[in-house]
Parts: sequence; C-alpha cells; structure tokens
Amino acid sequence: MLRILLAKDLRRARRNPFPWVIYLIIPLAVTALLGLALGGNSQDSALGRIRFAVVDEDQSFLTRMLAAAGNRGGTNRNFEPVFLSRPAALELVNANKISAVLIVPAHFTSQYLSGRDPVRVELIKNPAESLHPAVLEELLGATVTGLNALSRNFLVEVPALEEVLAGRGDAEAVGRLADRAGNKLLMAEKMINPPLVWYTGGNFGAKPEAVAAGTPPAGPVPDAGRSGMFAYLLSGMAAMFLLFLGQNGMTDLHRELRLRTFERCQTLREAAGWFVFSKICFTVVMLLICSGILFGGGGLMFHIHWRHPGALLALSAGYAVFVAALFAVLVALVPDERRAGVLNNLAGMALGLAGGCAFPPEHLPDFVRAHLTPWLPSNWFATAARELQSTGVTPTWPQVTVELLVVALLLTLLAAWLFRRRFQKGLRP
Amino acid sequence: MSLLRVAGICKSYGSIRAVETLNFEVRPGEIYGLLGPNGAGKSTTIMMISGLLQPDAGEVYVAGTAFGRDPEKAKRIMGVVPQELALYEELSGRENLEFWGRMAGLGTRAARVRAGELLEALTLTDRAKDAVKTYSGGMKRRINLGCALLHRPQLLLLDEPTVGIDPQARSNILEFIRRLCAAGTAILYTTHYLEEAEQLCQRIGIIDHGRLLAEGTLGELQERLGGDRLFVLEADFQQLAPEVWAGLAQRFRTIQRTERQLVVAATTARDPADCLKELLNLPVRVENVAVKRPSLNEVFLHLTGRELRE
Repeated sequence: MLRILLAKDLRRARRNPFPWVIYLIIPLAVTALLGLALGGNSQDSALGRIRFAVVDEDQSFLTRMLAAAGNRGGTNRNFEPVFLSRPAALELVNANKISAVLIVPAHFTSQYLSGRDPVRVELIKNPAESLHPAVLEELLGATVTGLNALSRNFLVEVPALEEVLAGRGDAEAVGRLADRAGNKLLMAEKMINPPLVWYTGGNFGAKPEAVAAGTPPAGPVPDAGRSGMFAYLLSGMAAMFLLFLGQNGMTDLHRELRLRTFERCQTLREAAGWFVFSKICFTVVMLLICSGILFGGGGLMFHIHWRHPGALLALSAGYAVFVAALFAVLVALVPDERRAGVLNNLAGMALGLAGGCAFPPEHLPDFVRAHLTPWLPSNWFATAARELQSTGVTPTWPQVTVELLVVALLLTLLAAWLFRRRFQKGLRP
Repeated sequence: MSLLRVAGICKSYGSIRAVETLNFEVRPGEIYGLLGPNGAGKSTTIMMISGLLQPDAGEVYVAGTAFGRDPEKAKRIMGVVPQELALYEELSGRENLEFWGRMAGLGTRAARVRAGELLEALTLTDRAKDAVKTYSGGMKRRINLGCALLHRPQLLLLDEPTVGIDPQARSNILEFIRRLCAAGTAILYTTHYLEEAEQLCQRIGIIDHGRLLAEGTLGELQERLGGDRLFVLEADFQQLAPEVWAGLAQRFRTIQRTERQLVVAATTARDPADCLKELLNLPVRVENVAVKRPSLNEVFLHLTGRELRE
C-alpha cells in the first residue's frame, strides 16, 4: 500500500511541481542569504575585509605608529583602514561605504602618557551594518584593555618614555628605559605564561591530520577558524530550517483532509497508519534533498569541509523523519490549515530556539538550558552535527540517530492513532 | 436477505442528537432513498454505515455480519460515494480511478482494465487523460461515483451524489445508478431532492432531526395522507379559521394552509365528486379548486409540519 500511496504523491508532485519547487528553493535562498549576509562569497576571508576610517586628530608619534601597524602584514588581510578627516569619514559612513569611524582625539597620546586624566577614543558605527562594526567594537575593547594594562604597569617609566617619544631622550636614557621595561616584562612572564585560562582553537571544518599535527595543512585547506564558525552556524540553522520545511511538507496532509481523500481511503481499508506513513516518507525525501542543499550549498559557499558526510547524512535522515512525524501529529491535532499554521510556526520556533539551533545553547536561560534543551530532538541533532564537525572522534551520532528514529516512530504511531480517533468521532476540519 | 441492515444506531455530538435509533434495511437490487433536509442526519448515517464513524449505540450489519466483527470484509462489499468530490484534481480521470482501484485491493492490470470499463460506462473515455481539475461539475461527479465502483461493490452508499450539477448531468447519473441497480447492486441513496427520490427509489425513508419518520414505497407513503389524491382550494383564508368549520374538520385532514391556499385530504375513501361538493359548501368563496396526487413534499409536510426545502 505504501508503494501505491507514494506513487500517487509522486505523480501529483510531477503534475503540479510548483509547491515542491518552492519547497526546494527555500533552502537555496536561505543558504544564499546567509552567505551574502555573512560575507561567505569572499574567497579570501569568510567575513570579508572590514573597511573603516581612522580620524587621527592627535597626529602624534604613537598614533602614526599604530596607523602604520594597521596597514601591515596579516592585519590588512582582514582590515582596511582609511585615514581621513572627520567630515570625510562621516560622509563615507553615511554613504554606507565603511563599517565604522574611529576617532583619536587631539592630545590623546600626551594625556595617555601623563596618566593623569582618563582618555577616550570615539567609535562611530555604521547603523546599516551589524557584524563588521561589532567586530571593530570588540577589537577596540581589547586594545583599550591592553593600553590600560600598559599604563598601570609602566606609570613610573612614562615621563622617560614621553621624552624618548618626543625625540628628546639620549641613548643612555633609552637604554635605561629598555632595561627597566625588560625586567618588568620578565617578572610579568611568570604571571602570564602559562596562562591560567586558555581555550582550544575551534578546529571546525579543518582536515583532521592538520589538526592532529598542529602544523599547517599541505594543500589548499579551508580556513579552519572561519569555516568553523559557519559550520557551527549552519548546523543550527539547518536544524531550524528543516523544522519549517517539514511543516510546509506536511501541508499536503492538511489538503488530503480538506479534500476528504484521506477519509475516502478509510472507507476502502483501515489505512490511516499507511496513509500517515506515506506522507512522512514523502516529506522525508524532500527534507533530505533540502538538507543536502543546505549542507552542500553552505559547504561550497563557506568553504566548509564536512568531516563526516556519511554520519551527517544519517543524522539528517533521522532528524528529517522526526520532523515529518512531529508535524504529522500536529496535523492530527489541528487539522484546520490556517489555525495549524500558527501552531506549527510556534512549535518550530520553540524547538529551534530552545534546542539551541539559533543560538549556542550556552546562551540560553539557565532553566531552559538545564531542564528543557537536553530533551529536545532539535538539540540532539544540532549538537551531534556540531560535534561531528568539531571533533575527530564521533561517538554520539549513531545513538542520536537511533534516538531520533525511535521518537519519530512513536510520533508516527501517535499521529495514526489520533487520525483514527478523529475519524471515529466524526471530527472534520 | 438484506445486504444492509441498520439496527438502532444512534450518534450524538455533545448535546446534539444527530441520529436517533435508526432502523432500516436495503435489499439486493434495491434503491433505498433516505430523504431529508440538510442537517437531518443523512451523512452521519452514511458515515456510520461505512465505518468512518463509530455509532454510540446500535449495530450495522453488512451481508448478515456485524460491521465491527469484520470491518475489512464489510469494506470490500461496499462502495462509498461521499458528498464532497474526494478526488485528486491534479491527476487525470483514469489515474484517479486506477488509484482508488488499487486502494480497494485490485492489482495494477485489473485496476487499469476496470478503469477503462468505468470510463466508458460513465461516457468519459474521451477525457480520460485530462486532469480532473479541467472537468465540468457533472464530469467530476461521475468520476467521484466511478471511484467507488472499481471493486464491483454489492452495496453502494451514495451521499447526495448529484448536488450542484445541471439537470442533464443529473439525469445521466441517475440513469447510471438505475443500471447499477438493475445489475443487482443494493443502493442506499441519500438526497434532499424529492424528484430524485420519487423517480429513483423503490423504497424511501423520510428522516428529520435524526429520526426515521416514515418508510415505505412512494405509494405507501402517499397512502398515509389518506389516499392517492389531495384537494387544493384557493381562496382568501387570511381572516378565516377553517379548522373550526365542522364540515371540514370531520371529513378532511388539513395538510397545508397558507393565506391563499388550503390543501386537504379526505379522511375516508369517498367519491372525489362528493368530496368536491363538500368542499364547495364550506363557508368561504372558493376561487379555484384542484385535485392532485400527493407528492413526497406533502408527505414530508404532513410528517414534520414544514416543507423539505425550508
């Protein structure tokens, strides 16, 4: 019977492919949108170069030195500072041509070195952009912390340093200054090296051998850090979007209820279970194609090397069956298509957000993270997919796949039972 | 032996009693009409018989076996034509027939052959490959009917199969149903069209508010009104109270009364000429008088106090 029902759905899809084409276009559009929004189309850098203006109203030796450093080596691979006057810089930010303006006010260096008054720099962010200005703000925060640390530790040397920077110090004074600074750094080394807190660099997406050896990979390997971030994002986004796509796929079950074709099947055979199962199978196929587009397209766009494609496919299959079965239950509970739309959206959003698909689970409220997230299959999938990509060993994915399938089986049985009960009670949409 | 026996089935939706202790039976080669207005309980009855709905009480027997004892066997015996067009509009007429045939348990080849036969019988062969969505209302109704016939059911449940179609298409469908009946199929036919029930059904059950009010052949139902003729008097009855006229109340039963018309039937078998004389002697200036055969509408009116189309 499953073959008959699937053949019918396939024939219907062939005759009226428009809804299914839309169904497939959604993940394509989502992937492209993500790529465009996050700069994934750049060949050199996943984030693209951050262009910003520096207004140097101080014009001191220190600010000129910092400006020169900003234009050198690896820095200018990611950043593109342009040095302008304040009006010209503001004009560019208004024209949406740069991400931010960094203004170093007059007397910045002298005030900083004197250590008497607090000094401040000004960052004007482009409101039309989100990611690049945020990166610059974080970077500026780190720089300010560093300058504060220097100022506090080298306060005694500041007058001599000021003389040297102004070009008034003789060689002997410079030597003494260097000696004292060197001694302080040696003393500080004990406190800062080795660091008390450290983190391992996210190796998301890098080839395993390169990670293990801790050496640069031999070929043109995608940038581990950048592609890692997108692989992490994409795993969560895929979990979230498959929920919405599953909901779209199951609208056909609503349609069969509305047209009474499901009911008519029941007059010929006890077929509720098979009918629901066939819809789930059909939706699963569509979801797998969509997840292929999401992971495959996303991988190409962000230069992600998926480390365990087979395991990811199995996980995706388990998750797709779960999603389809979940929405079959929701159709059985709320057969009215319009009312179900609201409920399905809420359910999809709740599962996605609370499951840590849209945000890292660590950012969720404590209660949700402790009591809700671990029970959500969306979280199982997103976490397992992220683990597959971030670790060399993959112990959890088979278990997660089986768990997803078991939940899906239970949901399928529940949906079939709910439909039978609905028919017996004469409840019609 | 009856092919379908409905024994005291009841169904309530909350406080609403949709069907109340319904009893009737349908024999092979018979068209049994279930006649009633919208909301009378006809579709609920069909749904209970077809197993879509669980009766609160009572039992449905198909070919002598209780439905609940062997639902699959009962489903193999019966074909159900729902009131709605339960079709896949993207698929062609042939594909719809073949799909429902496969669902009814036919093999691929058998379904194809049977679909061809039905397309010919329903005069749809020339449009067999076209998508159902391009069909007229009458053609869709015919395919809807055909989809229930693939497995050659002995019992056919037709739930208002001619709703919303033109007289020509209706006539075609009724003719097709007559042929099925002639071939020995037992048919339960629900409708709210009096003419269809009168023309098509050997026996008719009149249902209202979930209750079977009367049952029998058309003649038997007409007999309940006191014979095979009614007298229609036209006059100004606006200011009058005919029910208190001694000559009328004793010898005639009032079927319907409006401001301009009074329909009565004689309480006993008498010569129509005598009846006419008695009516013309009533204390009212009769403008016109007519004698006619009672219709099902009058039967329904007599049983329920309202017209079927109200």
